[in-house]
Amino acid sequence: MNDTAAIRTSGLGKRYGSGWALRDCTLEIPRGSVTALVGPNGAGKTTLLHMVIGLVEPTDGTVEVFGRSPRRDAQDVLPRIAFVAQDHPLHRNLRIGEMLHYGRSLNPSWNQGLAVARIEQLGLSMKQKIGQLSGGQQSQVALTLALAKQPQLLLLDEPVASLDPLARREFLNAVMAAVADDGITVVLSSHIVAELERVCDRLITLAQGATQMDGSIAEIVASHRLLTGPRSDAASVARVHNVIRESHTERQTTLLVRANGHVHDSCWEQHEVDLEEIVLAYLGYQPGNGAAQAPALEEIAS
Amino acid sequence: MTWVGWRLQRTETFIVVGILALLAALLVPTGIQMANAYHHDGLAACLATSPNPACANAIGGFRQRFQSLLDLGNWFNLVPGLIGVLLAAPFILDLEHGTYRLAWTQSITRKRWLLGKIGMPVGAALVAAAAMIVLFTWWRSSSIHLDGRLDSGNYDFTGTVVIGYTLFALALALALGAIWKRAAASIAVAFIAYFAARIFVDIKVRDHLVAPLKLIYKGSQHPSVLANAHIVSMHGDLNGRRVIGDGGFFFGSTKFAAPRLDNIVFHVVYHPQSHFWPLQLTETGLFVGLAVVLIAFAAWWTTARTA
Repeated sequence: MNDTAAIRTSGLGKRYGSGWALRDCTLEIPRGSVTALVGPNGAGKTTLLHMVIGLVEPTDGTVEVFGRSPRRDAQDVLPRIAFVAQDHPLHRNLRIGEMLHYGRSLNPSWNQGLAVARIEQLGLSMKQKIGQLSGGQQSQVALTLALAKQPQLLLLDEPVASLDPLARREFLNAVMAAVADDGITVVLSSHIVAELERVCDRLITLAQGATQMDGSIAEIVASHRLLTGPRSDAASVARVHNVIRESHTERQTTLLVRANGHVHDSCWEQHEVDLEEIVLAYLGYQPGNGAAQAPALEEIAS
Repeated sequence: MTWVGWRLQRTETFIVVGILALLAALLVPTGIQMANAYHHDGLAACLATSPNPACANAIGGFRQRFQSLLDLGNWFNLVPGLIGVLLAAPFILDLEHGTYRLAWTQSITRKRWLLGKIGMPVGAALVAAAAMIVLFTWWRSSSIHLDGRLDSGNYDFTGTVVIGYTLFALALALALGAIWKRAAASIAVAFIAYFAARIFVDIKVRDHLVAPLKLIYKGSQHPSVLANAHIVSMHGDLNGRRVIGDGGFFFGSTKFAAPRLDNIVFHVVYHPQSHFWPLQLTETGLFVGLAVVLIAFAAWWTTARTA
């Protein structure tokens, strides 16, 4: 057991019928990190999170949370993880106070003071019914429920997908505040790249059920370059650097590369690339297939 | 867990209590009327002595007055089913709304959740069934004295079968809901299936749950063992020729102007009154057994097939 990993998966896969929702996923998420799990819809993000929390039994491979199996050692693992599922399901006919009572009844390490303080901070009342709250408020109540459990690992499945930009920002701020206070490990899945850089320090991209990129966001941004130059083929660059995406116009070639050291060739003009563009390029990247066209933004961000 | 279980089943429990209260509101006044008439007309004394014309009139009068009410009361056969399927609602709603994921990612195991989520409605169904048995047995007490407990109306309501029916309806809705994850649809289909199963068992199965007795006798006077017995089938032969079938009288041949009852040999297959409890317990076992299988299936499907 390695003490630095919160989550470790090895060859993890899940098959539904004849199709693999996730395949051969090997990764390690260090303790104290805030990791974004990015990929288009259907990439296997939810399946991966469900296997980590123990909702789904893997078809293949293993998953360990703090060195333990979330399915076999559920009694040990469950109190240490909190999970906010997609669309943050809550009992709509319960009042906020009752929803907290629910959390208190089902969790040994429940922090009622923290929960009450957060609800007050949100300007909500214990008497309000969950069903009458806005989507943003419901997601905040769901997060409150997760945080009051005092987890060491917080999993958020598409927490901001259904929120408007303001609610999205407020939600992520709340997550950041919690992380800053307690240093808990966070994994949040998203198909929206915007704002993740502000919150997360690590990034994993998933597409077609496989991981494509896994690393620290600072490193990822630092090592990627956009090269533009006269129309040519990418072969000479590809000998030294990894070409993630290439596109050509009549007179110009543009390459997105993961640079191994500096790019010295003077015929290429170098630009920095932002995280969103790198992610989009990776999600269009098919291993073994060479460079492919990145999908249109709408395909991923919709 | 207990608070959570109760809070999430509160609405359904109140609805069931409401149904039982409504039932009591219908049964108590009419039950009192029947009991008063029964005592006022001295029917108990009549039944104790050998039949005489005055008593036959009194009994006939009582039947004329209350038989249609008692027959109407057979519709209450739907009530155990209704209560059973309703009690399954919190379980199915948790699956429908995705809130089971919320429960499964708290600090309790799935087994614990299942135990509460299925144990609580089972407990409520048992209590409701007991209440129904008490209420119906009291309401039908006059009818039990007159027609015995094997009378199908009395049989359906005044024994342990009510427990079996309620649990079966609950289990049916739980199993359907586990697969379907749609509360309203699962409950509606389970209710219809409950009714179909009841009719099927009533028509095809019940008579054979306990081996019926056979009796052969001659003459027009029914032997006393047949009093208030449940007749499975009967026919009458005259000189080896079938003259009375299940449908009643018919003449096997025009040679006979009329069969002379005295010489007819009757073959009767029947359940005597003493078969009431063996029949009840076997049928209860059948429905409880089905309920256990369905509940086990719902639990297995939910743990193994739901994520």
